[in-house]
Amino acid sequence: MPTALTSDAITGERVLTFEDGIPGFEASRRFVLVELAEDSVFQLLQSLDEPGVALVVTVPWLFFPDYAPELSEMERRALGIECPEDAIVFCAVTLDAEHETIYLNLLAPFVVHAGTRRGRQVILTDSDYPVRAPVRMVAV
Amino acid sequence: MLVLSRKQGESIIIGNDIVVTVLEVRPDHIRLGIDAPRSISVHREEVYLEVMRENAAAVATADRDAPVLRRTPPARRERGAGASEEGSRPDLGP
Repeated sequence: MPTALTSDAITGERVLTFEDGIPGFEASRRFVLVELAEDSVFQLLQSLDEPGVALVVTVPWLFFPDYAPELSEMERRALGIECPEDAIVFCAVTLDAEHETIYLNLLAPFVVHAGTRRGRQVILTDSDYPVRAPVRMVAV
Repeated sequence: MLVLSRKQGESIIIGNDIVVTVLEVRPDHIRLGIDAPRSISVHREEVYLEVMRENAAAVATADRDAPVLRRTPPARRERGAGASEEGSRPDLGP
Protein backbone atom coordinates (compact mmCIF):
# COMPACT_ATOMS: atom_id res chain seq x y z
CA MET A 1 0.00 0.00 0.00
CA PRO A 2 1.93 3.04 -1.14
CA THR A 3 1.16 6.06 0.97
CA ALA A 4 1.56 9.68 0.10
CA LEU A 5 3.61 10.19 3.21
CA THR A 6 6.37 7.76 2.46
CA SER A 7 6.79 8.79 -1.14
CA ASP A 8 9.48 11.23 -2.19
CA ALA A 9 6.76 13.68 -3.06
CA ILE A 10 6.40 14.80 0.51
CA THR A 11 9.48 13.85 2.47
CA GLY A 12 12.83 15.49 2.07
CA GLU A 13 13.36 19.09 1.23
CA ARG A 14 9.78 20.09 0.57
CA VAL A 15 8.67 22.67 3.11
CA LEU A 16 5.18 22.42 4.54
CA THR A 17 3.60 25.70 5.62
CA PHE A 18 1.24 25.82 8.59
CA GLU A 19 0.25 29.47 8.59
CA ASP A 20 -1.36 29.32 12.04
CA GLY A 21 1.30 27.14 13.59
CA ILE A 22 -0.04 24.12 15.45
CA PRO A 23 -1.66 24.03 18.91
CA GLY A 24 1.06 24.47 21.49
CA PHE A 25 3.64 25.52 18.91
CA GLU A 26 2.07 28.55 17.32
CA ALA A 27 5.45 30.02 16.34
CA SER A 28 6.24 27.03 14.13
CA ARG A 29 4.99 27.81 10.64
CA ARG A 30 7.39 25.87 8.43
CA PHE A 31 8.01 22.16 8.73
CA VAL A 32 9.65 19.33 6.84
CA LEU A 33 8.88 15.63 7.10
CA VAL A 34 11.87 13.44 7.84
CA GLU A 35 11.92 9.65 7.86
CA LEU A 36 12.59 8.38 11.39
CA ALA A 37 14.54 5.45 9.96
CA GLU A 38 14.76 3.59 6.70
CA ASP A 39 11.46 1.79 6.01
CA SER A 40 9.98 3.14 9.23
CA VAL A 41 6.26 3.68 9.53
CA PHE A 42 7.09 6.83 11.49
CA GLN A 43 8.24 10.23 10.36
CA LEU A 44 9.29 13.36 12.18
CA LEU A 45 7.38 16.54 11.53
CA GLN A 46 10.36 18.83 12.09
CA SER A 47 9.83 22.52 12.70
CA LEU A 48 12.17 24.84 10.81
CA ASP A 49 11.21 27.78 13.01
CA GLU A 50 11.78 26.09 16.38
CA PRO A 51 14.59 23.55 15.97
CA GLY A 52 13.68 21.81 19.23
CA VAL A 53 10.21 21.00 17.96
CA ALA A 54 9.77 17.72 16.11
CA LEU A 55 6.71 15.51 16.44
CA VAL A 56 6.54 11.82 15.68
CA VAL A 57 3.85 11.25 13.05
CA THR A 58 2.48 8.40 10.97
CA VAL A 59 -0.08 7.59 8.30
CA PRO A 60 -3.22 6.73 10.30
CA TRP A 61 -4.53 4.13 7.82
CA LEU A 62 -1.58 1.86 8.55
CA PHE A 63 -3.16 1.22 11.94
CA PHE A 64 -6.77 2.27 11.50
CA PRO A 65 -7.84 1.27 7.98
CA ASP A 66 -11.40 2.47 8.52
CA TYR A 67 -10.39 5.92 9.70
CA ALA A 68 -12.59 8.44 7.89
CA PRO A 69 -11.98 12.01 9.02
CA GLU A 70 -14.50 14.46 7.65
CA LEU A 71 -13.24 17.92 6.90
CA SER A 72 -15.68 20.75 7.30
CA GLU A 73 -16.50 22.98 4.36
CA MET A 74 -14.59 25.71 6.16
CA GLU A 75 -11.44 23.63 6.50
CA ARG A 76 -11.60 22.46 2.89
CA ARG A 77 -11.86 26.01 1.64
CA ALA A 78 -9.13 27.27 3.94
CA LEU A 79 -6.75 24.66 2.55
CA GLY A 80 -8.05 24.74 -1.03
CA ILE A 81 -8.85 21.04 -0.95
CA GLU A 82 -11.35 20.18 -3.65
CA CYS A 83 -10.99 16.40 -3.91
CA PRO A 84 -9.56 13.65 -1.70
CA GLU A 85 -6.43 13.42 -3.85
CA ASP A 86 -5.52 16.97 -2.82
CA ALA A 87 -5.06 15.97 0.81
CA ILE A 88 -2.10 14.35 2.53
CA VAL A 89 -3.00 13.22 6.03
CA PHE A 90 -0.89 12.15 8.99
CA CYS A 91 -1.34 11.94 12.76
CA ALA A 92 0.80 12.70 15.80
CA VAL A 93 2.17 9.70 17.70
CA THR A 94 3.06 9.28 21.36
CA LEU A 95 4.67 6.28 22.98
CA ASP A 96 4.08 4.62 26.31
CA ALA A 97 7.20 2.47 26.27
CA GLU A 98 6.44 0.87 29.61
CA HIS A 99 3.14 -0.45 28.40
CA GLU A 100 4.36 -1.14 24.87
CA THR A 101 1.66 0.99 23.35
CA ILE A 102 1.66 3.86 20.90
CA TYR A 103 -1.17 6.34 20.64
CA LEU A 104 -2.36 8.11 17.51
CA ASN A 105 -4.14 11.45 17.66
CA LEU A 106 -7.09 10.69 15.39
CA LEU A 107 -9.10 13.70 16.55
CA ALA A 108 -6.64 16.25 15.19
CA PRO A 109 -4.95 15.00 12.00
CA PHE A 110 -2.45 17.08 10.08
CA VAL A 111 -3.87 17.80 6.64
CA VAL A 112 -1.60 19.19 3.92
CA HIS A 113 -2.59 20.20 0.40
CA ALA A 114 -0.51 18.03 -1.91
CA GLY A 115 0.01 20.82 -4.40
CA THR A 116 0.49 23.97 -2.35
CA ARG A 117 2.06 22.23 0.68
CA ARG A 118 -0.09 24.39 2.92
CA GLY A 119 -1.40 22.56 5.92
CA ARG A 120 -3.34 22.73 9.14
CA GLN A 121 -3.77 20.58 12.16
CA VAL A 122 -7.50 20.09 11.82
CA ILE A 123 -9.48 19.48 15.00
CA LEU A 124 -12.42 17.45 13.73
CA THR A 125 -15.73 18.98 14.77
CA ASP A 126 -18.25 16.85 16.61
CA SER A 127 -16.16 13.74 16.02
CA ASP A 128 -15.88 10.74 18.30
CA TYR A 129 -12.30 10.01 17.27
CA PRO A 130 -9.98 10.02 20.29
CA VAL A 131 -6.85 12.13 20.78
CA ARG A 132 -5.17 8.95 22.03
CA ALA A 133 -6.10 5.86 20.01
CA PRO A 134 -3.98 2.95 21.32
CA VAL A 135 -1.98 0.52 19.17
CA ARG A 136 -0.03 -2.32 20.77
CA MET A 137 3.64 -2.62 19.92
CA VAL A 138 5.08 -5.90 18.66
CA ALA A 139 7.18 -7.64 21.29
CA VAL A 140 10.74 -8.25 20.10
CA MET B 1 -11.74 40.17 31.51
CA LEU B 2 -14.51 42.10 29.80
CA VAL B 3 -17.91 41.03 31.10
CA LEU B 4 -21.10 41.72 29.12
CA SER B 5 -24.70 40.71 29.75
CA ARG B 6 -26.60 39.33 26.77
CA LYS B 7 -30.05 37.87 26.32
CA GLN B 8 -31.11 35.07 24.06
CA GLY B 9 -30.86 36.23 20.44
CA GLU B 10 -28.41 39.01 21.23
CA SER B 11 -24.85 39.11 19.92
CA ILE B 12 -21.45 40.59 20.50
CA ILE B 13 -18.98 41.57 17.79
CA ILE B 14 -15.26 40.88 18.23
CA GLY B 15 -13.00 42.90 15.96
CA ASN B 16 -14.66 43.70 12.64
CA ASP B 17 -15.87 40.33 11.55
CA ILE B 18 -16.48 37.88 14.40
CA VAL B 19 -20.05 37.72 15.69
CA VAL B 20 -21.01 35.56 18.67
CA THR B 21 -24.74 35.11 19.19
CA VAL B 22 -26.52 33.61 22.20
CA LEU B 23 -28.89 31.15 20.55
CA GLU B 24 -30.38 29.39 23.53
CA VAL B 25 -30.18 29.69 27.31
CA ARG B 26 -30.88 26.76 29.61
CA PRO B 27 -30.28 26.24 33.31
CA ASP B 28 -27.09 24.23 32.80
CA HIS B 29 -25.79 25.39 29.41
CA ILE B 30 -26.06 27.97 26.68
CA ARG B 31 -25.78 27.53 22.92
CA LEU B 32 -23.62 29.98 21.01
CA GLY B 33 -23.50 30.66 17.29
CA ILE B 34 -20.20 31.96 15.95
CA ASP B 35 -19.74 33.69 12.62
CA ALA B 36 -16.07 34.17 11.85
CA PRO B 37 -13.85 34.33 8.77
CA ARG B 38 -12.69 30.89 7.72
CA SER B 39 -9.11 31.75 8.59
CA ILE B 40 -10.21 31.88 12.24
CA SER B 41 -10.55 28.49 13.86
CA VAL B 42 -13.01 28.05 16.69
CA HIS B 43 -12.76 25.19 19.17
CA ARG B 44 -14.07 24.11 22.51
CA GLU B 45 -11.30 25.09 24.91
CA GLU B 46 -10.89 21.70 26.57
CA VAL B 47 -10.49 20.01 23.17
CA TYR B 48 -7.89 22.53 22.05
CA LEU B 49 -5.95 22.09 25.30
CA GLU B 50 -6.04 18.32 24.84
CA VAL B 51 -4.58 18.65 21.34
CA MET B 52 -1.89 20.98 22.72
CA ARG B 53 -0.95 18.38 25.33
CA GLU B 54 -0.80 15.59 22.74
CA ASN B 55 1.40 17.68 20.46
CA ALA B 56 3.77 18.35 23.36
CA ALA B 57 3.73 14.62 24.14
CA ALA B 58 4.56 13.81 20.49
CA VAL B 59 7.57 16.15 20.75
CA ALA B 60 8.61 14.44 23.99
CA THR B 61 8.24 11.08 22.24
CA ALA B 62 10.57 12.26 19.48
CA ASP B 63 13.12 13.53 22.01
CA ARG B 64 13.02 10.53 24.32
CA ASP B 65 11.75 7.53 22.43
CA ALA B 66 12.88 7.83 18.83
CA PRO B 67 15.41 4.98 19.33
CA VAL B 68 12.63 2.70 20.62
CA LEU B 69 10.40 3.54 17.68
CA ARG B 70 13.25 2.97 15.24
CA ARG B 71 13.86 -0.57 16.40
CA THR B 72 10.41 -1.68 17.53
CA PRO B 73 7.74 -1.56 14.87
CA PRO B 74 4.18 -1.53 16.14
CA ALA B 75 1.73 -4.20 15.07
CA ARG B 76 1.41 -2.96 11.55
CA ARG B 77 -1.52 -4.27 9.59
CA GLU B 78 -0.95 -6.35 6.51
CA ARG B 79 -0.43 -4.32 3.40
CA GLY B 80 -3.71 -3.71 1.67
CA ALA B 81 -5.77 -5.21 4.49
CA GLY B 82 -8.85 -3.09 4.36
CA ALA B 83 -6.98 0.02 3.38
CA SER B 84 -7.03 0.68 -0.32
CA GLU B 85 -5.24 3.61 -1.84
CA GLU B 86 -8.64 5.21 -1.98
CA GLY B 87 -8.95 4.67 1.73
CA SER B 88 -5.75 6.51 2.45
CA ARG B 89 -7.45 9.80 1.80
CA PRO B 90 -9.84 11.69 4.01
CA ASP B 91 -13.52 11.44 3.41
CA LEU B 92 -14.27 14.93 2.25
CA GLY B 93 -18.00 14.57 2.61
CA PRO B 94 -20.66 15.28 0.01
